[in-house]
Amino acid sequence: MRFRTFAAFVAPSLLLMVLFIAAPLTSVFVQSFFVTQPQIQRVETERCTAGFLEQQCTTEIKNVPVLDENGAVVTTTRFVGLDNYRAVVRPDRAFAALSAWDWQALMSIDFWKALRFTLTFTLVTLPLVVGLGLAIALAVNNTMRSIRGPVIFVSLLPFIVTPVIGALSIRWLFVGDGILTRAMEAWSGTEIAMFAQGWTIELLMLFYRVWHVAPFAFVIFYAGLQTMNRETLEAAMVDGASRFERLRYVIVPHLMPLIVFVSLIHLMDAYRVFEEVVGFRSQAHVISLQWLTYDLLQPDDAGNRAVSRASASAMLTMIGIVILLVPLLRKSWRDHKGAR
Amino acid sequence: MAEIVLRNLTKRWGSFTGVERTNLTIADQEFLVLLGPSGCGKTTTMRMIAGLEEASEGDILIGGRRVNGLDPKDRDIAMVFQSYALYPNMNVYENIRFPLKVRRVPAAEHHERVMRAARMVELTEFLERRPGELSGGQRQRVALARAIVRQPNVFLMDEPLSNLDAKLRVSTRAQIKNLSHELKVTTIYVTHDQVEAMTLADRVVIMKRGVIQQVGSPVEIYDRPANTFVAGFIGNPAMNLMTGELRGGVFSGENVRIAGINGPDGAVVLGFRAEDASVVPAGGDIVAPTYTMELLGDATMVAVRAGGALVTVKAQKDYRIEIGAPVEISVPAGICHLFDAAEGNRIETAG
Repeated sequence: MRFRTFAAFVAPSLLLMVLFIAAPLTSVFVQSFFVTQPQIQRVETERCTAGFLEQQCTTEIKNVPVLDENGAVVTTTRFVGLDNYRAVVRPDRAFAALSAWDWQALMSIDFWKALRFTLTFTLVTLPLVVGLGLAIALAVNNTMRSIRGPVIFVSLLPFIVTPVIGALSIRWLFVGDGILTRAMEAWSGTEIAMFAQGWTIELLMLFYRVWHVAPFAFVIFYAGLQTMNRETLEAAMVDGASRFERLRYVIVPHLMPLIVFVSLIHLMDAYRVFEEVVGFRSQAHVISLQWLTYDLLQPDDAGNRAVSRASASAMLTMIGIVILLVPLLRKSWRDHKGAR
Repeated sequence: MAEIVLRNLTKRWGSFTGVERTNLTIADQEFLVLLGPSGCGKTTTMRMIAGLEEASEGDILIGGRRVNGLDPKDRDIAMVFQSYALYPNMNVYENIRFPLKVRRVPAAEHHERVMRAARMVELTEFLERRPGELSGGQRQRVALARAIVRQPNVFLMDEPLSNLDAKLRVSTRAQIKNLSHELKVTTIYVTHDQVEAMTLADRVVIMKRGVIQQVGSPVEIYDRPANTFVAGFIGNPAMNLMTGELRGGVFSGENVRIAGINGPDGAVVLGFRAEDASVVPAGGDIVAPTYTMELLGDATMVAVRAGGALVTVKAQKDYRIEIGAPVEISVPAGICHLFDAAEGNRIETAG
């Protein structure tokens, strides 16, 4: 293709990517090293009132924001290095907690609490999503052709549901007087409160995400199974491979590039877990890194938003994703090189 | 040692019959070729023997044991596929070793057996390569090595040469012939290529629409085709088949008249092979204008219209004739085959 044609096709998407991805990213990156505060000046005011013999004067020192000629607050932005990151990560407290083996203390720092949950969430859902997706794909592939369509449709439904709505409906099913809680109570004979403690909420969040994303993995793997050479599978049957050995030596290797792809996508998505925290209203027990960034951006009582710390938190989330992706990216790069 | 017996073997899909009540005994160490056009049921027959397709009716016996209900892996067979069916994620060595590995053959034996199989198909230099880095011929040799490494009782080969180019096909064919001679294993080989069938087979089975047409050695099938289908399928070019009428030992039809043929009076199909007849200057049995002339290098093929068909005759390589010019062809009665006009079955003649 000629360069001009190539450029004409690529330019619009490139432009939008720069505008909506690269530019905000750079801006967040820069902001995470700066703090913007209103300029404050110290004003000494003397107030005198008429008195009987002498004037009564009081001097008062007040901190007031500097205003410009239009009456707007003048702000200054100053470079603070890694201070914002320190304010989020709290290395001093974290280090003290770690050296004292005090898990509770570490978990009392928002960032570490969020990191703990985010990592658990990501690493637990990943194998479940891949495994369940593969299982459904194999099952559908082995069902009769006539009922395959409806089965695929039903399997895909959870993926179509809007994430927040899905999370909410799970919450409503399991909330104090939700029907599933009532059913479980009737069945077990004990009081059940799924939203009273962290671990049950976490369990529901994990369950919800696997339920929601497994269909995506299923569709990808199912498509991959259609390109499987049937004769290779039959050769494995004749060679003596059991069902499990065929899966392990023939099917999974064939699907490996797709497994890597699904894992990449899922890692990126799961590490940014947010809807579940909002949908399940879990912030009292369980928070995620993405939710932490959001929380920092919420105006506090004085109406200030901690934009700089939020930027630092956002950058840390991104760094986390990159660290998780590196092994997978290295693998697919090696395969790519090996394939040629 | 494995003799294979098929008894009333039938395969149906709904109302469609793939293989119809086939009876066949394949002797131990025999090289049997199933030959036929696509859709004739030859591959289905093999797949039923392999256990990849379930038989609708009938029995399959391998070495005297009924194997109908058994999984492919329990039938002690090895199979070579048209698409090679190698494991792309494993190198050549691992591909050949795979049957040993999944069958729990003691690991100590693996290396020696893999190397022996690799030597037999001349693959020792490529053991570290992936299938993707090999040529088609090399891939098919890997598939062969994978089949022989386990020393099974039966080899099944499903059009193993079809994906190779013409030159490789010849050399790989020779290799298969040599291997089968060396290993002395019962082999069933499916092909639609009659040259492969003729060169490889101890016996050839010709099938059409799920029904066996003829079973016999390559020479028998070539020299005494059982019906017009076999006659028209075997040989290059295929046997010339002319329709006409036999009366008092004289066959006559469009542009043709051949005397001295023993057979019942009535409508018949008369066949002869292109290389048995000859072009003569005068007094031919077929007299017709030349339809086309083809130069093959070692011979010249002359075609004319006779007996309702295009009849081809092999002439000397320096023979030349203009299209449309009259040509005379001698067809002695001794080279003629007779078939009945209705069913196409061979009519045995005294001569």
